[in-house]
Amino acid sequence: MYILYGAKTAVKSMVQEKWINLLCVMTVASSLLIIVLTGLFIYNIDYLAEKLHERFGMVIFLEDNLSKEEIESIINKVHQRQEVEGLRYISKDEALKELRERLKDDSYIFDGLEVNPLSPALEIKLKRSYINPQQVIKTSTELKTLKGINDVYSAEKIAEVISAFYKSVSNMGLIILATLASGIIFVVYSTVKILFYRRKDEIETLKLLGATRSFIRVPFLFEGGIIGFMGGLISIGISLVFYFAVTYRLSSVFPLLQTLLYPTEIIAIFPLVGIVLGVTGALIAVGRLRF
Amino acid sequence: MIVFDNVSKFYDYHTVLRSVSFTVEKGEMIFITGPSGAGKSTLMKLIYKAEDADEGEITIGKYNVTSIKPSDIPYLRRNIGIVFQDFKLLRGSTVYDNVALALRIRGINEKEIRQRVSEALKKVNLRHVSDSNPKSLSGGEQQRIVIARAIVADPQVILADEPTGNLDPNTAIDIINLLRDININGSTIIVATHNRELFRGTGKRVLKIDSNRIVKEEQG
Repeated sequence: MYILYGAKTAVKSMVQEKWINLLCVMTVASSLLIIVLTGLFIYNIDYLAEKLHERFGMVIFLEDNLSKEEIESIINKVHQRQEVEGLRYISKDEALKELRERLKDDSYIFDGLEVNPLSPALEIKLKRSYINPQQVIKTSTELKTLKGINDVYSAEKIAEVISAFYKSVSNMGLIILATLASGIIFVVYSTVKILFYRRKDEIETLKLLGATRSFIRVPFLFEGGIIGFMGGLISIGISLVFYFAVTYRLSSVFPLLQTLLYPTEIIAIFPLVGIVLGVTGALIAVGRLRF
Repeated sequence: MIVFDNVSKFYDYHTVLRSVSFTVEKGEMIFITGPSGAGKSTLMKLIYKAEDADEGEITIGKYNVTSIKPSDIPYLRRNIGIVFQDFKLLRGSTVYDNVALALRIRGINEKEIRQRVSEALKKVNLRHVSDSNPKSLSGGEQQRIVIARAIVADPQVILADEPTGNLDPNTAIDIINLLRDININGSTIIVATHNRELFRGTGKRVLKIDSNRIVKEEQG
């Protein structure tokens, strides 16, 4: 019953106090739009970074005279490590063939060689969460202690760049999210506080008639939720228009923009985020009621 | 039903009520009278806990009003129907919604609300205006809406604080007669008024407050 009454009263108040509510909805929508666009930016950067991570690998150079069993034993030991996502064994012959292919026209320099100078190797891919300089050095040091391994090429610098990139992008996203989320909560808080004071006489009457705190609060929580929900919907609408405008119109000038992604999950998530932030703001505004 | 035991109320250094004691039996209707500023409204507010007593004890049914927990105050007030001098009607709501509010607060379902509101409006002769806005009605009609709101949930006690203060003499008599009819059906009623004409000849008990204390008890 409280819920039904709360919803009806909130809708009635939204209509009666349309201008202040509209202003609040638009402010919430603007803030959520910035969050959505930041999210899209991070999502797309993350997608590109995923490609970067796929290119990162470590190379383990094995000793020349290892038997087939010894090589298999090393492969098993490396494969069992939790940070290893996958590996590929490159024999001496394959290594020479790949090098020749890479050098193309200059590959004649190997023509006079009677002995293959290259070592057999293992090329390993690390899981994304393990690509940071400390972990790469740790893995490299531990691998070097295995019998049959000559050397490890670990490319810590590349790992450092990838790691720093992830960190800065996600930190920037978190700062924007936290700032704007606090802003939304504050805007809804202020609006609900104003509405609460405008209805002070009515609330006093409700108290004298025997209304409980929750009965008085519920309409305001609904109102905060509705403001957040509408703000979420509007921000999603504008972001979709923005996305299609960028991918279809501007891509003729900047073809790279055609590869931009828009994860459909956010269409459902952002109205919910709006509701949560709106209700939080309203909850703080209504606060403690005294009888 | 209602017991005041040596109740005093002070505002800063000013005494509003001093050592007030009286009892109201279940089903009784009493009048509290006295000049303006005598403490009638404060006494009423002490009953529904809009004010706190500084000394003494007030009991209403099972509730000790002086020591009640804040979270129980709404439930105490649900046992009391209040008729305010300034009506306290919700201006943006219809007559029906104003009366129904007392039941919605109690979590009663809409079907039962429709039936009970209709009965309450019938008792105060206002069923024909249930969809109107109270603003469009006369003072007497608005006061009858307030009475309908006070009785719709069948409270144990009805408090009427200067219920005729803003009404003409004939309408005032109508309102008192309406409250007497409600009392005949078993409700306990306390009416605070400075207008002696309202209780003259009623045969009801009258408590006169003056100089912050009950100075006289008589039959109306």
